Amino acid sequence: MRAILRQALFVLIALSGIYAVLLAVSYLLVPPANRGRGLDSGLAASTIFMTDPKYVFLNRAALRPDAPRIVIIGASNTAVGFKQREVQALLPNAEVDNLSVGGSNMTQIAQIVDLVQDLQSSEARRRTTFVIGIWYGTFAQDRFRWDTPDRHAGDTDIDIERYRYGFYRRTENGPKQVLPSEDLPLGVALIHPYLVFDELSRRASKELRDRLFGRAASRTDAERDASVVSAADREADLRYWHDQMHSDGPIAEEQFSVLGKLIDRILAQGSRVVLVDLPIPRWHAERSPHYPDYLRHKEMLFSRLGGRDGFSYLEMMDLNGDLEFSDEVHPKPRVTPQWAARVAGIIGATGDVARESRVPKGGTLAAEQP
Amino acid sequence: MDFTSSLYLGFVAATVLAFNTWRLPLFRQCVLLAANLLFLASFVQSAQQLAPLLGFLILGYAATWWVARWRKPWVLGCTIALIVAVFAVLKRYTFLPAGIELPFLYLQVGLSYILFRILQMVIDSAGGEDEVRFGPLKFFNFTCNFLCFVSGPIQRSNEYLANLGQLDRKVDEAIAFSAMHRVIKGFIKLAVVSAVFNYLFANISAPVLAEATPMAGWRYAAQYAASAVSYTFYLYYNFSGYMDIVIGIGWLLGQNLPENFDRPFSARNIFEFWSRWHMTLSEWFKTYVFNPLMRFLAEHVAAPVWLPYLAVIAFFVTFFVMGVWHGSTGVFVIYGLVMGAGASLNKLWQVFMTQRLGKKQYKAVGDSFAYATLARGLMFAFFALAVTGLWVNMDQLWLLARRLGVGGLAFALFGTALCAAVVGPAVDHAGRMLAGWAPRLDRPGAAGLITRNVVLASEVFLIFAVGSFFHKAPEFVYKAF
Repeated sequence: MRAILRQALFVLIALSGIYAVLLAVSYLLVPPANRGRGLDSGLAASTIFMTDPKYVFLNRAALRPDAPRIVIIGASNTAVGFKQREVQALLPNAEVDNLSVGGSNMTQIAQIVDLVQDLQSSEARRRTTFVIGIWYGTFAQDRFRWDTPDRHAGDTDIDIERYRYGFYRRTENGPKQVLPSEDLPLGVALIHPYLVFDELSRRASKELRDRLFGRAASRTDAERDASVVSAADREADLRYWHDQMHSDGPIAEEQFSVLGKLIDRILAQGSRVVLVDLPIPRWHAERSPHYPDYLRHKEMLFSRLGGRDGFSYLEMMDLNGDLEFSDEVHPKPRVTPQWAARVAGIIGATGDVARESRVPKGGTLAAEQP
Repeated sequence: MDFTSSLYLGFVAATVLAFNTWRLPLFRQCVLLAANLLFLASFVQSAQQLAPLLGFLILGYAATWWVARWRKPWVLGCTIALIVAVFAVLKRYTFLPAGIELPFLYLQVGLSYILFRILQMVIDSAGGEDEVRFGPLKFFNFTCNFLCFVSGPIQRSNEYLANLGQLDRKVDEAIAFSAMHRVIKGFIKLAVVSAVFNYLFANISAPVLAEATPMAGWRYAAQYAASAVSYTFYLYYNFSGYMDIVIGIGWLLGQNLPENFDRPFSARNIFEFWSRWHMTLSEWFKTYVFNPLMRFLAEHVAAPVWLPYLAVIAFFVTFFVMGVWHGSTGVFVIYGLVMGAGASLNKLWQVFMTQRLGKKQYKAVGDSFAYATLARGLMFAFFALAVTGLWVNMDQLWLLARRLGVGGLAFALFGTALCAAVVGPAVDHAGRMLAGWAPRLDRPGAAGLITRNVVLASEVFLIFAVGSFFHKAPEFVYKAF
């Protein structure tokens, strides 16, 4: 017995020593970045966090609680369409953060809202406006969206980040917090060697992985602006979304219910919500079997929430020209300033944004924009 | 209980500590009993889910006694048939008629390995080996040993009995270090190496099995071969890592479990391969299927000239049964047929070469570098392609067959063989060079206290660091077989 305990102790001591050295070396190799103003998950790949869910989960500690805040959340088209720096430039009196995560459905969007609010005081919550980007793809049901061989069934990408470094633990009732929210910066500081190791490994193996797995190289902005979606690509895209939605047309109520409850929760905390109906190319809207049902659900939701204090919505479907998109859902870079202007317009560009802006309730500002 | 979960590690730590608090053998037996019961309970939600397994154990226990009481061939034959039939029903083999399966969920994990242990006891008991029969406590601890429960190694009852003789062994520092080193080595194989190959396999095989794939011809065959190779390495590191873990833990629990792997990819023919891969399973099949079958065939075929060909038949049957044992669906029958055909062809080749060259000359050719290297490459390629049966279902198998055709399959087989023939010796050479300068941890006292513990701690860090790359720890793949 004594020999076993002694041996375990030796390994533990050696592990502590090694970890201390690695911690020091990792900070020398990759010093903590000066994050500047506003978070932008679209830039995750150029940070130590490397992926957008990890960026959102770990980097949210950088959210300054004392500023009027605009938090933009959605899937990848929200990340691409509402570039943080473009929206920020139009709203200089607020701090704009884009915490969108690619592939999100409403469940994951709600988790991100919860993670943000978890760090905020009640005063900070009252000064926060959540901009939530929706389109039919964000209403894919959990059991289909979060069921891949490489994850525990039902785990969202945010859940995976919760468990990855032990900040949460898995229970029968879902993730249970282990590390208190106020200790998040300390936790992130302590896992620095892991983050550096992950970053180095990803960067070193990227080219090999891309070649081995036949992944296309990421396109430049110029290439996206010049791109034209071919007929074959359109067919492939429609097949892809058909598989994602797991239906021939009707969209299940589940995710609309999640959205409704999320908005109720946000408003109850004193925050504001701007729900943005994101455009998709006309060809996609016309040929998608899911789009009509999405419109029906959306109208019902808007009419239910339209009169609520703190809630407003923005329709952008007029920006649905086929040539405005680099694929079936993402706007071209040259279009995104227009998107930013739309959302900035509805929020209001002066003063303590969340308090001062006067946004028409239950209506759209789309027609008022140039 | 997942082997890479903190729950399992906690369970093992508690068992090891409890076991080593007192050296009285009966106490230690009771600790193992409690651990085995807890381990079983971790797989089920109700007692009902354990009932079929317990029923199977009771049948096996009774059988070891009645075959010893009535030592008649027909009693043994009927007993084996009964046990195998009950096993087949409990395993829900798809080829069985509908309606005979039990109408509720129950624990199926571990059934295959319990079958091996029970059959061994029954056959040896009938053969007059009285010491292989145990009392209920020893029987339960032997058949449901949590270290071997899920997937072996297949310990035989006489080996288990020998272990019991040293149950009061004290764990000294050398054993404690060796055990921890072995366990950590196992976790590196399981959570690092096999996880990486699993990641590669998942990404490489996706387009191979996709309904629509842009690849065709040799590119498709190459992609398929790469999938098969990555799965083979995943399987090997996953399984042998698990074995390292349980063998290491066994050393802390007074048990010397048999080794199950010995550099299988250095094998030059299928028989050598199976004496290096899942060795305890091969040994079991050799003792309880191949040898009796050969005896039976030899007794019924008088002409000695046919004896080598009898081995061809016996190998086919043995490898076919071993393949079919891996799963309960049709694709495993195909897998069994492929393994059986491979073994038969290999044996026929040996017979042919021996007849043509003579034993001495054939041995000389076999030992030459070029022949040995190519044979090794071909053996690896055959196995890698044969285990395709473990990662596809029947529909996917036909899809693969249609897309590959004979040409694509031949390209995949010989291309892989050629690559393996080149890479294998190079890896061996690199391994020898590495072994030359790396600290030797497998010999007590070969490295200083600080060096060896720093190496162990670095390995632990590596496990956590690489483990954090993946969304979930790799499952123990052989659990499904």
